[in-house]
Amino acid sequence: MTGYAPSLSPVFLIDLALLTMLMLVAIAMLRSRHLFAVVMLSGIYSLLSAAFFVSLDAVDVAFTEAAVGAGISTVLMLGGMLLTARREKPKRPGRAPVALAAVIVVGAALFYATIDMPAFGDASAPANADVGQQYVERTASEIPMPNIVTAVLASYRGFDTMGETMVIFTAGVAVMLLLGAGSARGGRDVSDVENKDEEA
Amino acid sequence: MDWFDFILARYNYWIFILLMMIGLYVVFARGNLVKKIVGLNIFQTSVFIYYISIGKIFGGTAPIYMGDELDAAAHHGPDSGEGAGHGAEAAAHGATAHAGAEEMQSKIDNAAPGEETLAKETLHSKIDNSALDHGNDLKDALKTAPRPEEADSLHSLPDTGDKIANTLSHVDKTPPKAGLQFTPDGLTDAAGDAAHSAAVAAHGAVEAIVYTNPLPHVLILTAIVVGVATTAVGLALAVRIREAYGTIEEDELEAADDIAEFGHQPGAPAQQAAEGAA
Amino acid sequence: MSIVAQLPVLPIVMPIMAAPITLLLPRGRAPHLWACLFTWLTFAACIALFREVAATGPISYALGDWAPPIGIEYRIDLANALVLLLVSGIASVVFPFAYRSVQLEVDQRQTPLFYGALLICMTGLLGVTITGDAFNVFVFLEISSLSTYALIAMGARRDRRALTAAFNYLVMGTIGATFFVIGIGLLYQSTGTLNMADLAQQLIGQDNRMVQAGFAFILVGMGLKLAMFPMHLWLPNAYTYAPSAVTAFLAATATKVAVYVIIRFFFSVFNFDFAFIGAAFTYVLLPLGLAGMFVASFVAVFQEDVKRMLAYSSVAQIGYMLLGLSFATVEGLTASLVHIFNHALMKAALFMAVACVVLRSGSHSIHAFAGLSKRMPVTTWAFIISGLSLIGVPLTVGFISKWYLLNAAFAAGHWYAGFLIVASSLIALAYIGRVAEVMLLKEPADDGKFVLPKEEAPLSMLVPMWILVAANIYFGVRTDLTGDIATRAAEALMMMAGGAP
Repeated sequence: MTGYAPSLSPVFLIDLALLTMLMLVAIAMLRSRHLFAVVMLSGIYSLLSAAFFVSLDAVDVAFTEAAVGAGISTVLMLGGMLLTARREKPKRPGRAPVALAAVIVVGAALFYATIDMPAFGDASAPANADVGQQYVERTASEIPMPNIVTAVLASYRGFDTMGETMVIFTAGVAVMLLLGAGSARGGRDVSDVENKDEEA
Repeated sequence: MDWFDFILARYNYWIFILLMMIGLYVVFARGNLVKKIVGLNIFQTSVFIYYISIGKIFGGTAPIYMGDELDAAAHHGPDSGEGAGHGAEAAAHGATAHAGAEEMQSKIDNAAPGEETLAKETLHSKIDNSALDHGNDLKDALKTAPRPEEADSLHSLPDTGDKIANTLSHVDKTPPKAGLQFTPDGLTDAAGDAAHSAAVAAHGAVEAIVYTNPLPHVLILTAIVVGVATTAVGLALAVRIREAYGTIEEDELEAADDIAEFGHQPGAPAQQAAEGAA
Repeated sequence: MSIVAQLPVLPIVMPIMAAPITLLLPRGRAPHLWACLFTWLTFAACIALFREVAATGPISYALGDWAPPIGIEYRIDLANALVLLLVSGIASVVFPFAYRSVQLEVDQRQTPLFYGALLICMTGLLGVTITGDAFNVFVFLEISSLSTYALIAMGARRDRRALTAAFNYLVMGTIGATFFVIGIGLLYQSTGTLNMADLAQQLIGQDNRMVQAGFAFILVGMGLKLAMFPMHLWLPNAYTYAPSAVTAFLAATATKVAVYVIIRFFFSVFNFDFAFIGAAFTYVLLPLGLAGMFVASFVAVFQEDVKRMLAYSSVAQIGYMLLGLSFATVEGLTASLVHIFNHALMKAALFMAVACVVLRSGSHSIHAFAGLSKRMPVTTWAFIISGLSLIGVPLTVGFISKWYLLNAAFAAGHWYAGFLIVASSLIALAYIGRVAEVMLLKEPADDGKFVLPKEEAPLSMLVPMWILVAANIYFGVRTDLTGDIATRAAEALMMMAGGAP
């Protein structure tokens, strides 16, 4: 009783192709030391994941990921890269095995969890049957809005969205604190005596 | 469930795990601060993929109302009598995909007793979403059809049980489990209960099209914004570090800090640090 | 729809609306006064909320009037009412205190942004505490974290290492928060809901691998945020190089809120029917708590920098909190809650004393503390009394904490843990004693390295500091206040977890 017929459907194949490309791009990012290439690849990675979200019917998320992940994020990282360094230097060896061990432990824990997971795409999985389904049923009569995601975002879970705008505001404040006027940036604020001593 | 099914049902999650591991590995093992932020991005995006995968429903469509659910809600409200009538209407609307136009016309003719049949047919629209293409024509046709006298006519439904069972046997695929769970037996039982049927038929209006679970999408919309906010702050910090230290390589930063740390008491550690920096 | 009905949202909504306005105010005094005003209003709302909860029991507030599993719920019981009170209370004392310290350590052009960020940070912490929705925890956690990263980096004006400390914290904090999100995702996948009370219902009898992994990810994610012993490496640098007032606020609130989240999830989302909960308590939290107590205390003894010493001491004190809740008894949980409250009082007072010294001598090295008792006696004694409280001397809150913890350890049959608690208190005596000795007995080295304080710290700093010192003694004498509330809160939590009350 899997209810799970479309096993080798075109959708599945598109999924598989996108995920494979995501993997390849991620590995390329890991290996490249050329930061410009890494940043470009991360934009491609975001676009690929946006395409993947479309194939999973998450169109709103895809839009956002394409605009924010591939757009804003890439621009930010380009700027960050230009202001810092173009190339990554090889790291002193020794840290890699520890990192690998930690990563494998985390991966193993998640793999362990997948054993009991409901099948991908299963409509009767608890995640899809409970609150999620209620949104689909109730939105039509309670919030006259065709896009259910918007309805949930703006009303049912509107407080999360307010928190989200607060996060953006916080990031703005944080960046202004770090880079704005009076932030004692090296070489720019001459009144910063202590910092100069440190650098001397 | 054999192994092939088991793997197919999880490949998305496993790819998510691999992507997550790559991202985390970049963060832990690489010393360049910008690269670390890229790693954090990969890591967070993989989690988005995981959440969206949770919400996927096969045969579902993006959670944007495509049928007339909104009109239904606006015009009819939740009371079951009206709802049932509307349910039949919408059900017929959905059924188009499966049945040919002529076949449908006959169904519309006996819409009142065959209400459940139509509701049943609705389910097929889940498999074939092209229902919509024909939907409007039929809806017009339906409006001209006589309105079913809900409660009374529904009592006659047990008679149509066999008919429903027959219809079901023609169904080429197993009934989707999501929806209304119309098995032949269950349906015959259900047909006996007029009120229930009315409710189910009304329900069918909304269920005609299966929508993918919207909740993970909402959560990830929030998480994407949080992710880019973190990226912005992290990069701003990296820029400041570059200005203060002249490098964004972790090794060199540590060496510089060690010199500052042991600057007060010169000794072996300070020398080593200086060598490391050189 | 009176104001009373809206009381639960006031502690969040008021500072959220005030923070953007802070940015618009002119530099100087105005942003500070504005921020102080709102910490006091928030504190007042939290007091009202606390009284309400203590009198009538848990309050549920549906945001946007959507009934809980569909909408987001604020759910306040005694446990989080206590933490709310703590966070807003500390804020309402530290914010007024901050003015002179910030004047010295932060550029005047940045004061509007700085106090705005501080308000946001407080709001985030309050939001994490008050909410009854698992995903909402993450959103507010990130609000507080993002502002914290920037606030810590503000220390770069004095020492550039603040930048690397903030960056490390950003990386660790983001990994922690993302792990937490993975954990929530696993729970959601298994149950289909995000509301904590609903999660608890749905989780009954669901001992599957998703839930187990979800538990592990929440533990590790929050462990990173609260600097649980082996994951504490970001904390000492962050606390050392952050501006003094920021350290005082964060040390007293941020890690406490993370401990609260752990308690909330372990006791009122998961329940004791899960075998892995017991295993995690016995084989993870108990040993890590004990190890943190010892290793971090021991490292603290050898620090040359008083702020860093106190930061390591914080890691050790978190060990006490984890130890208490790992007993999984009412006594243990009571001890944890009491210590969350008490440790905030003492650590805030200690870091405030350090801030006073930094203001007058410009350094937080232990050498700057030499002979301080003659030049800054009021600050010196504030430090010593709070230090005694940290050690656990009778008539201070520290003693109450230790008392509850020892009781819990013996009641749970972990008699060795009892001895270890006493032993680790002796290490605390060593590092606090070292600073006290320098302050009281040592003559300041006249080598020109450190500025000799010429006068006592200003009243605007002494008064808030002594309010907390007085609280250290008051709650140390009136043991019934915190103890009773914590016991009631612990009993309620244990009921939810399905343990014997």
